[in-house]
Amino acid sequence: MPAITTDLNIALLAPELALAVVALVVIGLDLVLPAERKSLLAYLGVLGLIAAGALAVGLGGSTQVGYAGTWIVDPVAIFFKLLFLIAAAFVLLSSIDYIRRRTDYQGEYYAVLLFATTGMLMMASARELITLYLALELTSISLYVLAGFLKGEKTSAEAGIKYLVLGAVSSAALLYGMALTFGLTGTTVLPDIARQIAANRVETSPLLMVALVLVAAGFGFKVAAVPFHLWVPDVYQGAPTPVTAFLSVASKASGFVILLRVFTVAFAGLTPVWAGLFAVLAAVTMTVGNVGALRQTNVKRLMGYSSIGQAGYALMAFAAFLPGQSPAVNSATAATNSATVSALLFFLLAYALTNLAVFAAIIHVSNRLGSDELADYAGLSGRAPVLSLALLLGLLSLVGLPPMVGFWSKIYLFYSVFNAGVIWLVVVALLNSALAASYYLRIIHAMYLRPAPVDKPLAADAPLGLALAASVIAVVVLGLLPSPVFQAAASAAANLRP
Amino acid sequence: MIDTLFFALVAAVAVVAAVAMVVARRAVHSALFLVVILFCVALLYLTLSAEFLAAVQIIVYAGAVMVLFLFVITLLNPAAEQQLADVRSHGIVAAVLAGVLLIEVAAVLRWGTLAGQPASFPPPAVPWSDNVQAIGEGLFTTGFLLPFELTSVLLIVAIVGATVLAKRRL
Repeated sequence: MPAITTDLNIALLAPELALAVVALVVIGLDLVLPAERKSLLAYLGVLGLIAAGALAVGLGGSTQVGYAGTWIVDPVAIFFKLLFLIAAAFVLLSSIDYIRRRTDYQGEYYAVLLFATTGMLMMASARELITLYLALELTSISLYVLAGFLKGEKTSAEAGIKYLVLGAVSSAALLYGMALTFGLTGTTVLPDIARQIAANRVETSPLLMVALVLVAAGFGFKVAAVPFHLWVPDVYQGAPTPVTAFLSVASKASGFVILLRVFTVAFAGLTPVWAGLFAVLAAVTMTVGNVGALRQTNVKRLMGYSSIGQAGYALMAFAAFLPGQSPAVNSATAATNSATVSALLFFLLAYALTNLAVFAAIIHVSNRLGSDELADYAGLSGRAPVLSLALLLGLLSLVGLPPMVGFWSKIYLFYSVFNAGVIWLVVVALLNSALAASYYLRIIHAMYLRPAPVDKPLAADAPLGLALAASVIAVVVLGLLPSPVFQAAASAAANLRP
Repeated sequence: MIDTLFFALVAAVAVVAAVAMVVARRAVHSALFLVVILFCVALLYLTLSAEFLAAVQIIVYAGAVMVLFLFVITLLNPAAEQQLADVRSHGIVAAVLAGVLLIEVAAVLRWGTLAGQPASFPPPAVPWSDNVQAIGEGLFTTGFLLPFELTSVLLIVAIVGATVLAKRRL
């Protein structure tokens, strides 16, 4: 372990600063570029994301703490930052044609998307409640704007309003929980909270339980866990489809990184309490998501319920945490918890790549057919064979079939939960996986086995094709060769310390 | 002694203004009584040696927020007293709920485990300059620097978003 620094080291903020500057440049250039050249801003944004990624990789490898303990750059933070950057780059590339067709405010769209990503990068490194909350709000407010961005369309406006109102309620719950935590411990720095809870013996205080539940509710909204999932179907359906992809991938992963930081660090002394809570939440979330998806006829709504189901699987990782105070933890418990974290990281990455591929295909269909209804996917394999194959591979990965990456991510996750001894939850998850296969197969059935109403082939779209090809190749290659990335996740998880 | 007298005076004015705010017939009068309450609260902050909070209370609440209130009230036809009368008919329900809340607060303070340590009154004297200086140092040199700067990015997003969503043609 290298020495831990605690100064105001601006180098630790390099990826976030770079991305914020690029977002500001996008706003500025938007003023001078003619309307037909505005897609250049998206490519500029992608360059900014790549630069931020390079800076993040440059910071990686060691654990550094700065800004009086409020900021941490460790391998887990770098892992999540790269996940957010990859997701944002794919979403930007998929957005170009979609946004050009639907709004005059292209520059603002790209800038707000980049600001949302900046907020997510900060969530990955926040080690203190106020920083964490502001990073969360930066992301959330950007996403409220993006969800309602097509203000001329009724569904998009409805999505924006619903997301804003419900998001504000969840933020209030979260703030209340944070305020109670601060009141009980007198600090907002996560490891200090754990220390104060242990020192003052308030583990059983009813007030701390209330705080814990309120914080879990606030974060549960971000990851769309039941019962905080009610916004998902309407917002996913109404938001611009690239934004839906971003919500289902990056926004969800950002919810998991703050869950990981707050619960495994600040509330480490209460592990048995919240592990039980998350076990129930995980089981209910996956079941409600998968059952809800069965009846959907709109593909975006269906993917919304699917994302609730997938969040349920990911929440299992929190149910599998074993108790133990971080300093005095015995090595077997530490190894089990570390395996659980690495399984969670790998699951989130695999889910992100898979969902990005699926959504790239959905965006393309939406651009060319002007519809997201499942009925309009009939006979798509004849009209767009490559696209259909890509969508097929993505959906099979969501089902969890080999040789796609979704297979390995589920195996690792279920195995680590099984190892931790929460066997009933694994059984529920396996039943849910079988249930989920049926609605993913409905899309495949429509594409390959139903006759097409017309035979006209779908025109291509270069930047979106690039995003689609890259994500599908990643899904297949990682499915055939998962170990390098899994090793990276495992070493990041092994370095997770308060 | 003088502290207690001052507190009693300011608190009495605040309570009278609060009652006047609720029973005022015109919304504009209610808003103006609210300004009085906010001023009184600022004075109470001063007696607690929280000068910065007192200044912020006057600038933000008695200033900016009240101007916004008055703008909205004057824009939305202030003569709509019919609606105010409707609200007043719910007075009994409101009084019962307020009574329950009051008993609840009293019960928690009397028997609850939530009550904190009673503070000394008047509070220990803090030198005039330390309060604002301590907040400034906290904001700019310690762990709050990062959240403080983050707020500025948040405001940019809010401005861009509000402009896109609210403006008809840019």
